[in-house]
Amino acid sequence: MAKIGVFICHCGENIGAKVDCSRLAEALGEHPGVAVSVEYKYFCSDPGQESVKKAIRDNNLTGVVVAACSPRMHEATFRKACAEAGLNPYQCEIANIREQCSWVHTDKDMATEKAMDITRSMVEKVKRNNNLQPIEVPVTRRALVIGGGIAGIQAALDIANAGQEVVLVEREPSLGGHMAQLSETFPTLDCSQCIMTPRMVEAAQHPNIRLLTYAEIESVDGYIGNFKVKVRMKSRCVDMNSCTGCGDCITKCPLKKIPSEFDCGLGKRTAIYTPFAQSVPNKPVIDKANCIYFKNGKCKICTKSCQFNSINFEMQDEFIELEIGAIVVATGFQVQNNAQYGEYGYGKYPDVINGLQFERLASASGPTAGKILRPSDGKEPQTVVFIQCAGSRDPSKGVRYCSKICCMYTAKHAMLYAHKVHDGKTHIFYMDIRAAGKGYDEFSRRAIEEDEASYVRGRVSKVWQENGKLMVRGVDTLLGKPVEIAADMVVLATTMIPQPDAKEFAKTIGIGYDEYGFYNEAHLKLRPVESSTAGIFLAGACQSPKDIPDSVAQASASASKVLALFSKDKLEREPVIAINNEATCAGCWGCVLACPYNAIEKKDILDRSGRLIKRVAFVNPGLCQGCGTCVTFCRSNSIDLAGFTEKQIFAEVMGL
Amino acid sequence: MITQEQYRTRVKELLSSGTVKMVIGYKPGSTPDRRRPLFIRTAEEANRLVLDSACITNLSGYLVTEGLLSDEKKVAIFLRPEGIRSINILAAESQLNADQIIILGFDSTGSVVKTLDGTHAGDFSELLGSIKQNSPVKPSEVLFEQVEQMTPAERFAFWQEEFSRCIKCYACRQACPMCYCRRCIVDSNQPQWVNTSSHTLGNFEWNIVRAFHLAGRCVECGNCGRACPVNIPLRLINRRMAQEVIEAFDHFPGLNQTQEPVLASFKKDDSETFIL
Repeated sequence: MAKIGVFICHCGENIGAKVDCSRLAEALGEHPGVAVSVEYKYFCSDPGQESVKKAIRDNNLTGVVVAACSPRMHEATFRKACAEAGLNPYQCEIANIREQCSWVHTDKDMATEKAMDITRSMVEKVKRNNNLQPIEVPVTRRALVIGGGIAGIQAALDIANAGQEVVLVEREPSLGGHMAQLSETFPTLDCSQCIMTPRMVEAAQHPNIRLLTYAEIESVDGYIGNFKVKVRMKSRCVDMNSCTGCGDCITKCPLKKIPSEFDCGLGKRTAIYTPFAQSVPNKPVIDKANCIYFKNGKCKICTKSCQFNSINFEMQDEFIELEIGAIVVATGFQVQNNAQYGEYGYGKYPDVINGLQFERLASASGPTAGKILRPSDGKEPQTVVFIQCAGSRDPSKGVRYCSKICCMYTAKHAMLYAHKVHDGKTHIFYMDIRAAGKGYDEFSRRAIEEDEASYVRGRVSKVWQENGKLMVRGVDTLLGKPVEIAADMVVLATTMIPQPDAKEFAKTIGIGYDEYGFYNEAHLKLRPVESSTAGIFLAGACQSPKDIPDSVAQASASASKVLALFSKDKLEREPVIAINNEATCAGCWGCVLACPYNAIEKKDILDRSGRLIKRVAFVNPGLCQGCGTCVTFCRSNSIDLAGFTEKQIFAEVMGL
Repeated sequence: MITQEQYRTRVKELLSSGTVKMVIGYKPGSTPDRRRPLFIRTAEEANRLVLDSACITNLSGYLVTEGLLSDEKKVAIFLRPEGIRSINILAAESQLNADQIIILGFDSTGSVVKTLDGTHAGDFSELLGSIKQNSPVKPSEVLFEQVEQMTPAERFAFWQEEFSRCIKCYACRQACPMCYCRRCIVDSNQPQWVNTSSHTLGNFEWNIVRAFHLAGRCVECGNCGRACPVNIPLRLINRRMAQEVIEAFDHFPGLNQTQEPVLASFKKDDSETFIL
């Protein structure tokens, strides 16, 4: 005989103002099977929980319904209270009369009626609840960090320094990401490479970090604590063990005019190359798309130059299988191609460049050794125009969001230019200056006041070439006048957008993404570093445009989440899993295909002499996530979900 | 008649050589335009076979009779193109091994019966592909057009009227080659999702469940409609679902044995963003 306790929470005024809790308690008290029905101002408070426990003990309750807020808020609280009072925690259900009732209704009588329906339906469900035991799963204490930019390196180092194993995977031949390409960094103007490369070296040499460069994630299976990850090691055609990184092959390579990706096309590289001087690992890789040997089967000059026989043109991609407990995704961003803005002339005029290209010009390791020289003729530009929001905050042609870093990096560019070309003039077209951050506003003021950057509030309508100059026509909205500036170089403050394969990659690893392809956090405010998939965390600009301090902070936050996960021997998982009735299963295998977690396998049922009687579906309890997809697919209703059984759901519906 | 003789000879060969243990075909029925299923195991019985344009029942459902194919011996069966599609679906859903089935394919235009080349389900892929190509997107049937033109309220009233005759005999289920579950959801009573009594609500529930379970699987053979003792135009529901599935997913069921069930499979490049 069911003895259900119903506990109706006022949630202060949240519920109490719109639901007549006394009437609700009275009505539920008369419902069959309800032994106790009481109201209280805050059941989640200590005295509130104590009263629930006391009621369980005093009345030998078999089930508990707490009519209160969303189960996302306090289901765990009340399940724990029930367990402390000796009741199986899965005999506790939450009837949500706040988010789904009091908050959305204005008529008190009708809201009260609805609250009664919601609570009654949960009483009917809980009468049919079974005692469930949490499933314990082991945790593999090894983290995978995907992406070797500043965010990935930071997360890897933090986890490794806490004594846990890390596998750091980078798809380019070297660690470093975008930060290695930058010249100086705002708001302190310290050299980016000077602060970045020690981290790269530290990560590469750390005893707890296994570094896999020129590698890509092929597949991710499994679940929190127990991921199985397959990594493709792309063939470098250079044996990493014997190569010393002497660079002889690079100097001998006859192809010397391939545009360098690292220098954003402003510099050149060879076909066998390291992306930049401080590459980690500092061992070359052969670019198969350009290498003469891969094109027509002849050359191999690099092989002759190598004293260690490290070059192997036959090298194939290899696959590594990893057992992983937690994943940090730090795959970064790309800059938008500004060619879509025909009016700015990017891609048409060589001296119209994007922000990242300017970084390379200003960088001491760049193609001009840090001198600001224009790409067309190598002359020092005397007038430079910067155009902010080139692609961002533009719903019509670009993206709707603010790219966040461009105001600051444009101010920085103006300063670097002023420091290098003393009598140069800078004009910056802007919409707003967004300089929120520690030391940021001071920094942009410094560009205006000390380095004489001339800010023009307005947009640019056209850039064209005339008499060797780039003519920039725009508007100064503060003066209400059109402006025309004859410039030597134009720099576009280009938007950060997701990696080209961001959506595809999200599907590979099983996380959500927004309309642009930035990865979704579990909760924008309260769980900003977790993805919606348990055990997968986010760091850096793959989630949204971020500057270096934000990326590093999020990376450390992700690392702390990983370490919290690794602090336990075993994880407790909700016992909400699918169970198949083998007697009625028709063996159509629709569920096997429908299961997004590959948790369902085919099972043979044999007779005593080992002959096959029939084949049915079997749900692996370790892999099942309890999503219920198979339950909805099964035509013969053979699959049931523990905690949400057909009987429970049916009773819940009929209770309405 | 030539086709019938040709096939009788084939059947005799198949049975006398021991290639197949059984042939499933047609024999005369109670009226000149009705045919009954015939199951023969010896060559002598082959002369009882009838093959003409009245042979319209899709016989493929008999193949999934419990135990029939478990000895791994072969069975030959007379099938029209939609029956061959059923074989492909049953094979895709692991209900039978298509290698055990020898297909005696035929089709008819008017009263002329013609043979179809091939014996294995895989031999007919070109034919089935051409049916997909030529399947009318807008069906010409008058009643279907009428129902399509109705407002939702009128359509509801129409089906309410039609379903009011349903006596829940489940003949449609028994006749359907796709309804092979050992226990149908309507026979489960813990809980009783679908009402057993034949009142309007229960009748709606049953027929809607049936329509959903056949979405992306029905080959429109018409067995259900012919089996219905109260003449509910069940084919209209099946036609509607088939059209939905081909328009939404470009899925024409039964093209081959490797076709994945349309409602259970998903691909990474599906446009739905909720698929992670």
